Amino acid sequence: MLDGLRIVEFAEGVAGPLAGLRLSELGADVVKVERSSGDYMRGAYPTAPGGTDGAAFIDLNRGKRSVALSESPAAAAALLQPLVERAGVLITDQQDDALSVLGLAGIIAASERGESRLIHISISPWGRRGPLSSRKGSELTAQAMTGYTRYLGVQGEPARRLGADVASVGTGTFAVQAVLAALYSRARTGKGQRVDLSLCNSLLAMKSIHLAAQSNPDKYEGPRVGGAYHPPELGWKTKDEPVFMAFGGSVGPTGRAGWVDFVKEVGLEKLLEDPRCDKNGRISTGHGAHVHELREVYEEAFTNYSGEQLADLIRKHRGNASVYQRVDRTLTHPQTEALAIVCEAETDGQVRKFRRFPARFGRLQLKTLARPPGLGEHTHEIAKEVGIAAHELAALKGSGENAGDDA
Amino acid sequence: MSDARHASSPVTGATNDRAPLAGLKVLDVSIMAAGPWTAALLGMLGADVIKVEPPAGDGTRWALPVQNGMGTNFMAMNVNKKDITLDLKGDEGRAHALTLARGADIVVQNFRAGVMERLGLGYEVMRETNSRLVYCSISGFGESGPLRHAGCSDPIMQAFSGFARLNGAPGEALDAFRFTGFIDLSTAAVAVESILAALIDRERTGCGQEVRVSMLEASLEMQSTRVAEWLLGGELMRPNGSAAAAFAPDRAYPSLDREIFVSVCRESEWRAFCRALDMPGLADDPRFATNPLRVRNRAELDGIVEPVVAQRPAIWWLRVFGRNGIACGLAHDFETFRYHQQIVENDMVAPIATPWGEVVVGGVPWHFSETPCAVTPPPRPDEHTAEILATASADAKTAEEVGSDA
Repeated sequence: MLDGLRIVEFAEGVAGPLAGLRLSELGADVVKVERSSGDYMRGAYPTAPGGTDGAAFIDLNRGKRSVALSESPAAAAALLQPLVERAGVLITDQQDDALSVLGLAGIIAASERGESRLIHISISPWGRRGPLSSRKGSELTAQAMTGYTRYLGVQGEPARRLGADVASVGTGTFAVQAVLAALYSRARTGKGQRVDLSLCNSLLAMKSIHLAAQSNPDKYEGPRVGGAYHPPELGWKTKDEPVFMAFGGSVGPTGRAGWVDFVKEVGLEKLLEDPRCDKNGRISTGHGAHVHELREVYEEAFTNYSGEQLADLIRKHRGNASVYQRVDRTLTHPQTEALAIVCEAETDGQVRKFRRFPARFGRLQLKTLARPPGLGEHTHEIAKEVGIAAHELAALKGSGENAGDDA
Repeated sequence: MSDARHASSPVTGATNDRAPLAGLKVLDVSIMAAGPWTAALLGMLGADVIKVEPPAGDGTRWALPVQNGMGTNFMAMNVNKKDITLDLKGDEGRAHALTLARGADIVVQNFRAGVMERLGLGYEVMRETNSRLVYCSISGFGESGPLRHAGCSDPIMQAFSGFARLNGAPGEALDAFRFTGFIDLSTAAVAVESILAALIDRERTGCGQEVRVSMLEASLEMQSTRVAEWLLGGELMRPNGSAAAAFAPDRAYPSLDREIFVSVCRESEWRAFCRALDMPGLADDPRFATNPLRVRNRAELDGIVEPVVAQRPAIWWLRVFGRNGIACGLAHDFETFRYHQQIVENDMVAPIATPWGEVVVGGVPWHFSETPCAVTPPPRPDEHTAEILATASADAKTAEEVGSDA
C-alpha cells in the first residue's frame, strides 16, 4: 500500500523502530540508519538462540535494511544527506543538534516550514521544548513522570513498573498515525512537515480518563480518584487461578441484569439482601465501590470452581470475566489462534514466530517480514542507490574507520 | 502556544480547517472508551465527528467520578465531537444512521460481534450506498473464535492478554493496573493507525474497506517487546518490581529520601553509571561486562548498587546521573505534573472549558508543524440532534433530486 515510499529510520530502542516496522508491513521501504555502535536494542536481553541480537530487536527490525554511519561526522553526513534527501519520511529520535552535526540542519528546517515534501517525525523522551528537552529518558522514567507507577503495588512501598513498554509502544503507534496523517495531508498540499512526539506526551494522552477524573470531581469516589490508594488488584481467588469479573454492562445509568441469577447459582443468595450490592452487580463486582469489602464473601463461594469454570459461568449470566493468564497461554489460546495473531516465517534456514500487524483489513495486503539486518549490512547497497560509488564510500570512511558494513 | 489551552467556548464543536483530516466526516456509533477515543483522535486530527448515543445514554455519563453531574470519563472520551441521540433499534433511527453513513468517510462502531448486522447497519449494507467508506469495528476478543461474543472491558483484557501478569513485586503472580481504561485507549490508538492506513489505501484505489481491531490484539501490541522475548528468545518476563525485563540496571532505587528511577540501556551509559556512583572499577567487573550479563547477574549488581544509592538523597542522584548522561527521574502525580513546566510548555495536558466546568484532558499526542491539531470541548449529550438531522435530511433531499434529474 505504501509501495514506493522510502523511510529513513534513524532511531533506536522501541518507539521509532516499531513505527518503521508497522509502516514497512504496510509496504514502505525502510532503511535503518545506525551509528557504528549499533541500535542499543541489539544488546537487549534475551538474545535469540544462535545469534547475538536481542529477541526484541529482531522482531522490531524485520524487513529493514541497515546502514552503519561512519564515526567521522563528515563521512557520515556524506552518506546520510543524500539518503534523507531522497526519502519521503525521516523517523528519528536524535536531537536536532545531533542531526545538524550530520549535515541535516537545512533539510529538517525546510521540512518543518513545509518547504519540501519530507515528513520528519521527531521522537524524544520529554518533548521538544522545556527545561528537560535535552535530557535522556526511558520507558521507566516516562512511566514514573506521568504517574503510571502509582496505580500498581502499594503506596509508600517500592515502586513497580508496567511490564509492558507502554510509553515506547504507544509513541510508536502515534508515530505511525503521524506519518499516515502527514502523508494524507501531503497528497493534498504537496507539502511535507515536521511532527514532534514524546514518550511523556504519549502516556499523558493515553491517561486522559484519569486526568479528567482528577480535575475537579464533585465527590471523592470511584477507582479513577482513589485507585492509587486501593489495595493491589490481584483478582478473585478460585479453586485454582484468579479471575477478574464484572457485572452490570455499560449502557445507561443502571446497567444489565444477570447478577441476581449468578449469585443464586453460586450459592450467594445472602448478597441479594446486602445493602452493599445493587441488583445488577455493578457496585459489588469489577471496580465497584464495595468490591474490597465483599471480595472474601464472593471468594468463599468461588473455591468450588476452577477459574475457567467460573469465567464460563459468569459469561453465561451476562457478566464479563477472564482468568488472569500469562501471555504464553494467551498466545496459544483457541481465541488467539482463531484470529491467527501469531504467524511463522522462514528465514536463513530458521522458522521464526511473529505477531502480525494488530488489525484485520478487508482489502489491504500486508507484507510478511521476517529477517532483521546485521549492523551496516546494506551500507554499500544503499550508498550505491543514492549515487555513491564503492571507492567513494571507502574514501569517505577515511583510514582505519569501520562503518561496520563488512562485519 | 496551545490552541487547546485557550479554548474558551464550551459548546463550539468548531472545525479545524488546517488539521490533516480537515473535511473528513466520521460517524461514531460507539460507547465507553475504545470506540469513542478512536473517534476523538480522528476529531483532533481535524475530522468532523458525530457521536451517536443510544436513548439510554453512553454509560460513561454515570461512571464515577462526576463533575457538576457529568461523568468525567464521558468528557475525556468525547472531545472534538458533536452529539446526537438515535435509537438504532427503531426504523427511524436506523434510517437516520444510514443517511449519515452515506455521507461519511469513516464509521467507528464497537457493538458486540453481529449486532450491527442485525440492526441492518453492517458493513455490507453501508458499502452498497458508500463504496468509499472505511468501516472500523472494534471488539474485545475479535470477530471470530470461541470468545467472539464474550463481553470485554479493560480489566478483563488485562487478565486475558497477560498484561497484568507482567506486573508485581518479585515472586508475585500479578498486579493489575488500577488505572483502568488504558487498554481501551491503546485499542483506540491501534484503531486510528489502521483507519489511517485504510484512508491512504482509498487514496490509491478509490475504495473503502472494513477494518477490524480488537482489544486483544491491541493489548498484545502493547506487550510487543515481551511477546517477542517469548516467541524469539524463549524468555517470559515475570513480575519484578520496577526492574526491566530487557535491561539492567533499569529500575527504581531507594535513596536517602525517595526513589530515584534510572535506566541504563547502552554500554556507554553503563560506564557513565559506574562513574556517577564513584565506582569506576565496577565497569570492569566481568560479571557485569554486557547488558545480558547484568540482567542475569542482577541480584549481585543490585547488592552492590543499592547501599551506595541509599546514602544520598534523590536530588543528588538526579544531578549526578544527569551530568553523566543517564536517564533518570522521580515519580510524579497529577498535581505535580499538571503544572510542571515541561508538561505545560509541550501542551501535554489540555485544560478545556466544558459545560460542566474546566476539565484537564490529555493533550494531542502529535505536534504537526504545518497542520496543527487541538483538543476541543465535548458536546452535551443530544446537543446537535436537531441540527444534524436537519442537515442530513436536506442533503438527502438534494441527493434525491439529483438522482431523479439523472
